Parts: sequence; structure tokens; C-alpha cells
Amino acid sequence: MITAPSTPRLTLRLGRFCYLALNVAVVVFLLAPIAIVFVFALNPTPYIQFPPVGVSLRWFEKFFASRDFMNALWLSLEVAAMTTIAATLFGASAALALARGGLPGSRVITAIMLSPLMLPAILTGLALFQSYVLLDVGRPLWGLVLGHTLVSIPYVVRTTLAVLQNFDTRLEEAARNLGAGPLRTYFEVTLPLTKPGVMAGAVFAFIVSFDQFPVSLFLVSPGRETLPITLFNYLKFDLDGTIGAASVVSILLAVLVVFGLDRTVGLRSYAKL
Amino acid sequence: MNAARAGITPIAWLIAPSALLFALFFFLPMGLMAMISLLTGNPVVQANVDFTTKYYRRILDDTYYFEVIWTTLRIGLLTTLAALLIGYPLAHLMARVRGRTAYAMLMMAVLTPMLTGIVVRTFAWMALLSDKGAINQALIGLGLISKPLPLMYNEFSIVLGLTHIYVPYMVLTLVGVIGRIDERLEHAAQNLGASPLRAFLEVTLPLSLPGILAGSLLVFALAISAYVTPILMGGFQIMTLPMLIYQQISSSFNVGFAAALGMVLLTISLVLVIAYNRILGLVSGQRDLQ
Repeated sequence: MITAPSTPRLTLRLGRFCYLALNVAVVVFLLAPIAIVFVFALNPTPYIQFPPVGVSLRWFEKFFASRDFMNALWLSLEVAAMTTIAATLFGASAALALARGGLPGSRVITAIMLSPLMLPAILTGLALFQSYVLLDVGRPLWGLVLGHTLVSIPYVVRTTLAVLQNFDTRLEEAARNLGAGPLRTYFEVTLPLTKPGVMAGAVFAFIVSFDQFPVSLFLVSPGRETLPITLFNYLKFDLDGTIGAASVVSILLAVLVVFGLDRTVGLRSYAKL
Repeated sequence: MNAARAGITPIAWLIAPSALLFALFFFLPMGLMAMISLLTGNPVVQANVDFTTKYYRRILDDTYYFEVIWTTLRIGLLTTLAALLIGYPLAHLMARVRGRTAYAMLMMAVLTPMLTGIVVRTFAWMALLSDKGAINQALIGLGLISKPLPLMYNEFSIVLGLTHIYVPYMVLTLVGVIGRIDERLEHAAQNLGASPLRAFLEVTLPLSLPGILAGSLLVFALAISAYVTPILMGGFQIMTLPMLIYQQISSSFNVGFAAALGMVLLTISLVLVIAYNRILGLVSGQRDLQ
């Protein structure tokens, strides 16, 4: 027997349907542009064409054969590697001090350490650039790495703090009660337990530096540009598959990183800000 | 709190390297920028450098600069509104979803674009919206339109691109806050006869207000400082504050004026940062009470 659903029941189902439909639409909105990049990277025509007419790897060949793009890619990787090391060292030690140092006003200091996340990165670049001009040091590579490090530190601080605040401090107390000094406790208990947070922070620092645009804008020296800057300059005049290929390379790197994150720490811890 | 009572431990010294780095290469440069915005030249290489307010007067005297600032703020507001409207439902779903796999997949959908880089994502939107882009070609191919729709090079495309870039920040802020609201409160309201919609509107929504404010401030702060998307999606037609700042350095090498404009952007952002920290403090304060 089929009975007609009562009105409230119908609105309930309609509401559920709208809720789910809206969420599906948002997920499509988030992922569609990324899918389209793959379509254009594999499209053989020299201009954007939709629907695609075939599959070709010519834009990947062009990207990997381009000296400009390759120099930029290597510079980006080099800067990102140096940034990751520096930001992880600075950020992880700062997070330890903030969580366990008993510092007065640690909340304010945390806010300050996280402030590069919200202050316009373009201003970090501008302010550093103006300081270098004032000091007449030119645009050195360390100056670029320094800029990237400043905007990457907050990510390391945040992920490390999240882990430090979530684990059982009684483990540390136990070590202390068993006679370990504060330093030994940190190296043998706290640090190993904090590793997932530090690693996640390092991965974020790498991505933030690798994709960094606004800070680099003022700090790269002409002729030695990072990948995002080279892509941007290319995009201003051309809109062909080379950018698509370069983008796919970046995206694959990002996806690898997300998988790595899930493996090391689990994605759930990123819901916390 | 307990740590503070126990006093400062030697671990506190680990803050020193970062404190030094921030002091020397973050706050000092910002201070120098403030100084440069008030000087007639570079005191290191030039003699006879004087204090001047001419750069700020230039901003105040010309309505063009007000228009640029207003455009920047308007784009920021529209982006924030759009990010909130589409980010809230997704954050709500993520906070309430039961399965770990479903959650991980949704999180992946949020994180993948976030880690994809601004230039790449702006390219993606250009490939979708341009005259020969996917949307126009598909519509022409289907015979629905004969001439391409002007989807790009306007404020709409800038806001669309920026919303895509910053909505993950909104979602991540909201997931944390909504996840902390006890679901049973909503169930109780429903048991008392409220419809799910009413229970949401009268229980969950008000309780998530601090998250809405924090996420909105974050997205707004990020959107007003964007450079790549407004320049490429606006086709060099619509001027925003970050674009103007870079233009002053790259084409006119007017360091003093760029510094003054930078101070305007910094002031707006600082107000937002302080408000954001207040609100986030409020959110975690609520957690401490529970």
C-alpha cells in the first residue's frame, strides 16, 4: 500500500534534498576548476577548446623543455626546501616554548606568531623589499627565503601547538617524577610525541613556500624568478596548455602532500584552527 | 594556566630565535615602512631627507584613491559573503557527518584546492570563464547562445575566483566551531516540536556566531590583500589597493607613496587581526567553560 506522505514529512525530505544538493554543488564548485586544468593540460590544441578534441602530452613536453620554467621550478624547490628547514626549526621550538615554557602572556605571543597568516603577505614582501633597498643589499636569495620563512612559521606553530595541546601531559609528569630533567623529558617524551605535528607543519611550510606569490613578488630578482611568478607573467599574455601542464605538476604535488598528511597525522586534526 | 603557575621553565628560551627573527625581519621592516611613508627620501644614501606628510595628503586629496580603497573593500565584502553562504552548509555537513571516510573525502575536497596555489586556480577560472573558455564554448556548442557571455574581466569574476580561493579557510574555521556545539541541543529542540530548520536557526546558528565572525574576518582580511586574482580576472581594468601598491614600486618606483598605501592596508588588516583574535579567544573561552 502506498500512502501519500504527509506535508511536514514532504518538507522534511525536500529540506534534506536541498541541503545535500547544495553541498554537492559546493564540492563541485571546489573541485571542477582543478579538473578543468587537467582537461586543458591534455588538450592538443594551442588554444583552449571545449569539449577537448584529443589527448596529448605536448604541453608537458613544452613545459619540461622550457628553460625558463625549469629554472623557475628548481629555484622554487630550492627556496621551499630551505624555507621548510628554517620554518620548522623556528616554528617548532617556538610552539614548544609557548605550550610548555610557562611564558607570561603566551596567548598574545601566539597571536603575534600567527599574525603573518592574516596580515597581507604582500606587505611582508613590500616591507622587506623596502628594508633591503634602504640597506642597499639588493635582492639576495636569503632575502627571499627569509620572507617565505616568516609566512610559513605560523603553519608550523599551529600544527605543533595543536598536537602539544592534545596529548596527555601526565606522560611528561611521569618522566619528571622518574628523575628526568626538563631537557631530557622534552627530548625523550615531548619531542617524539610532537613529531606528527612538526612533520605536518613542515609539509605545510613546503607547500606555502612552493606556492608563495605575494611575498616573492617584491623579493625575487629579475631573471631569477620562482615558478608562481613565472606562471603569472606567462598567464598575463598567453593562455595555452603549458600553464595547464605546469599546473598539473603543482596539483599532483599538492595531492601527494595531502595523502602524506593523512598518513602521518590524520586529516581530522586539521579541522582545528 | 597550570604551566603559568608553575613558573617559567628553561623551555621558554626556545621562543628566543623566533622572537628575534620576528623583531628584526617582521616588525622592524614594518616600522621602516611606516618611516619611509613619512620621509622625502632614503636617509641612508641621500642627504637632506626631511619629514613629510605629502604621501598621505595625496591619498586624502584624490578621490581616485578612495575609489580604489572602496573597490578593494567591496570585493572583500562580496567575497566574504559568498564564502559564508556556500561554506556554512559544507562546514555543517562536515561537522555532523558520521563516517570517517565521508569526512576524509570532504576534507580532501576542501584541502586539495587550498594546496593548489593561487596562480593555478586563477588560471583554472580563466580557462572556465574566458570567451573561448569551457563554459562559453559548451553553451555555444549546445546552441544556447551565439555570442560568448562576458563572464570574465569584471568584478563578478574577481569575486568568483577569490571565493574559490578563500572558501576553504571559511570552512575550516566553521567546522571546528560547529563541531563543538553539542548536537543534542538541536535534537532537544526537535523533540520539543521544532522543525529541523527551526532547530538549526534557533539553536545551532546562534551558537556558531563566533565562528561565522572569525571565518568572515579571516576571509575578508585575505581577500582585500589579494593580488593575482584581481589583476588576471579583472583584466587590468579594476584597480585594488595591493595592485596599486605594486604598481607604485614597479612602474614609478615611488617607494614613499607605496609605503603610505601599504600603511593604509596594514591599518585595515591590523584592526581585523585584533578583532579576529578577540573572537577566537571568545570561542576557545567557551570551550574552557564546558
